[in-house]
Amino acid sequence: MTADDAPPRPTRPLLALAAAIVVVLLGYLAFTVPASWFPSSTLKQWGVRDMTLPRGIGGAVNGEFIVSATDASGQAYVAIVTDLRARDYAAITWDARNVPADADVHFLWRTDYAPRKIFSEPVTVEAGRLLPVVLANDAGWLGHVTGIGLAIRGTLVQPFAISGVAAKPSGAVGILQDRAREWLGFERWKGTSINTIIGGDDVQQLPLPLLLAASIGIAGAAMLLWRRFRGSFGMADAALAIAIMFAASWFVLDARWTWNLARQAQATVAQYGGKDWRGKHLAAEDGPLFEFVEKARAEMPATPARIFVASEADYFRERAAFHLYPHNVYAEPRANTLPTSNLLKPGDWMLVYQRRGVQFDPTAGKLRWDGGAPVSAQLKLRGEGAALFLIQ
Amino acid sequence: MDIIGLKFGLLLVWAFGIACLAALPRRTAFGDEPGGRAWLIGAGGLAGLFLATLWLRALSLAGIAFSAATIALPILAATLALGAWSYRRNRRAPGETDGTSARDTPGARMRGALAERGAAISGRALPARDRLLWRLLLAWLALRALLLLVEVATHPLFPWDAWTQWATKARVWYELGRIVPFERTDAWFAATGVTYFDAGPNYPGTVGLMQVLASNFLGRWDDTLMNLPFWMLAVAFAFAIYGALRAMEFTPTWALAGTWLVSSLPLANTHVALAGYADLPLAIYFCAAILACLRWLRTRELADAALALLLLAACPLLKIPGRIWALLAAPALLTGLLPRLGPRIVGAAYAATVFGLLLLAQTSPVIMGYHLHLEFAPDWEALANSFFLYDNWHLLWYGALAAAVLGRRQLLSPQVAPLTMVVAGGVIFVAFVLLFTNARNWLSDQSTVNRATLHMAPVVAIWMLAVFRAWTETLRVPAARPMPAAEEALPPPEPAPESAAPPAAAS
Repeated sequence: MTADDAPPRPTRPLLALAAAIVVVLLGYLAFTVPASWFPSSTLKQWGVRDMTLPRGIGGAVNGEFIVSATDASGQAYVAIVTDLRARDYAAITWDARNVPADADVHFLWRTDYAPRKIFSEPVTVEAGRLLPVVLANDAGWLGHVTGIGLAIRGTLVQPFAISGVAAKPSGAVGILQDRAREWLGFERWKGTSINTIIGGDDVQQLPLPLLLAASIGIAGAAMLLWRRFRGSFGMADAALAIAIMFAASWFVLDARWTWNLARQAQATVAQYGGKDWRGKHLAAEDGPLFEFVEKARAEMPATPARIFVASEADYFRERAAFHLYPHNVYAEPRANTLPTSNLLKPGDWMLVYQRRGVQFDPTAGKLRWDGGAPVSAQLKLRGEGAALFLIQ
Repeated sequence: MDIIGLKFGLLLVWAFGIACLAALPRRTAFGDEPGGRAWLIGAGGLAGLFLATLWLRALSLAGIAFSAATIALPILAATLALGAWSYRRNRRAPGETDGTSARDTPGARMRGALAERGAAISGRALPARDRLLWRLLLAWLALRALLLLVEVATHPLFPWDAWTQWATKARVWYELGRIVPFERTDAWFAATGVTYFDAGPNYPGTVGLMQVLASNFLGRWDDTLMNLPFWMLAVAFAFAIYGALRAMEFTPTWALAGTWLVSSLPLANTHVALAGYADLPLAIYFCAAILACLRWLRTRELADAALALLLLAACPLLKIPGRIWALLAAPALLTGLLPRLGPRIVGAAYAATVFGLLLLAQTSPVIMGYHLHLEFAPDWEALANSFFLYDNWHLLWYGALAAAVLGRRQLLSPQVAPLTMVVAGGVIFVAFVLLFTNARNWLSDQSTVNRATLHMAPVVAIWMLAVFRAWTETLRVPAARPMPAAEEALPPPEPAPESAAPPAAAS
């Protein structure tokens, strides 16, 4: 790393790294390919149109099958009629999102081999997704599969969406394609991006950093063993070779990250490009709220006034507060609570956005919330699920 | 016009910082040191932005309303005065000019300097084997900077805390033209409208002031463009890293590769693109402060000490944990100033800290009514996800572990020991927060673990490079083994013998 260092030719370390990656992938496949490495069958897919909901509440919305609630017995079934030979397909994947972490989800299927019996296999939920169900070695995965389904038991705290189902032969090539798809999946900005970057899809069977690190380790160890028994190069050369492999692996990860960043920049420009400050906020996730707050600001005095914000969702409460500054805003950051009425004084304002428990009597000009004592108030602005009051 | 004002304002702030650093008295000019100019540009940008926020504090204290004029004009005047003063001083410096030959005219010197810089930036001055790599790295860094600029200049303020507790202050202070206090609930109700409230009323205001600065240069509130200082910080930091690595005797290509490693950490990039949190500025100022301390240990220049102090002072003013991070300069300085005794003292202090933590985890002492028991229940799976499986850090933690193992005998070598002590202290601090306190919940849900780690990540990357370099050097040069008796008979070392030698003039 000083001026005297002549970097070794990078070809050999890069070849060693490539060979190590192949070794690691072969080892991975040896553990994960459930049946044939090179199956003759091809992928089979079913879309939203093929799905029915014999039990539960939901249906197709905007190209997704939304399951919003279970029925009175606490169950929901999504069913699909199929015709596939079980031995040709080793795994079933459900492309779902927003699945509650504590949901009790089972994959169900019926075969012509035992037509009266419904087989079941639990499905693991991770990061709101359903992990693939590997059935190659399941005793019930025999004959022709005439129907598959998904059973959800318990109360759904939020709706979840299914956009497709696939039966996969799960051969070596298919598995590697799935991994590559996970690594290259577009990771767009979301609320958690500031805390964690996954590096592709939310759920990954073989994280790319792990693959590359293991490959460097194997290549480095092989190089040191070679040196020990053949002694054809010095330790300093081996160290530089490790550095080259490390930098190359880092570059692979960085290229993936930069590619994702470029896609994100494109998406950001598509959503916000060419808009002024207000236009951007109107195009943002909280556009309707921003619009209402802008109207509210127009009703309020130019000089900063005290204003209390009420909303059930932390997000709307805090966003409304942010849009209201430099007025002197009070919004409880982490609880859907309002101060008692005796803490408010005439001249204060209150902005309500999608919150239950706030009542206004226009004839008496009285405002009360959460069953507390009423205060005199004037309704200054009304919106959909929103209102602005001036305390008198 | 407003965008031009913003660009001009930020460049002015940057130039102001450079002028401040250039004006500080030095025995060796920046241009005469490897990477000196890059360090001047990078550290100048960081210093300029922080000094500008201090200027806003001074204005507010003096009761002068914020405006482009009250902010920019004094900074412009100071920049011109300091620039002129340092230019005249450098012109008078011995050996610089002694005649009236055409080569020594200011124009010729300027042309010569520009040609030299052009050759350096384009890689023409490098050996052919490095030239391609140099240019590719530069292009790759430029592409990243461009993509981040597009994001930061287009996306409205997005991450949660940015609009619940950081930019809230920026909006109020910009619109009111002065700093007003933010208080907790009770104090806010008691103040009846005099003070303000947000989700983090006790948080330091420097990030908000950076946004106030940009808003004033812009001339209006825009919660997108006000975040450009974050991008400026990232670019200035890249310059500073390159300059620091060159000063640490890395070749230009290795130094640029090191700059790429530090600049490409995905979570750091995310904090530029989704600007608004204080974590990245803290990481940048902390790392630059440590590098300035190392620089001072080598040069013993008053100017480097002043810069190190300024950058350290920024840490607690950016975020509350910055108080602890700033303190971690002490182990580095102690180790650098007392190469033999320092590591022992710091090591003993760290060992005592770890022992104390483990003791409190095993016992339940009560002192003055306070229960001092610490719960040790780490979530190892979440830790593995954060550091090794997710792409928050590319391969940083794999590389750091490998460097620590391979270069274990060089961890306490004079060149590496100060950085090792900072990294060790940082690891203990982060481990304490994440493994022994309620913050472990944030580890499990991945909400804070990476942001807490981001503060030290750039330092760890540089330490990794330093350890690896130290290790490879031992492989190349057979270790000299002094006779034990002779070693004992040696006189006590000078304050820092390893730093007395001038940096080698690498290409």
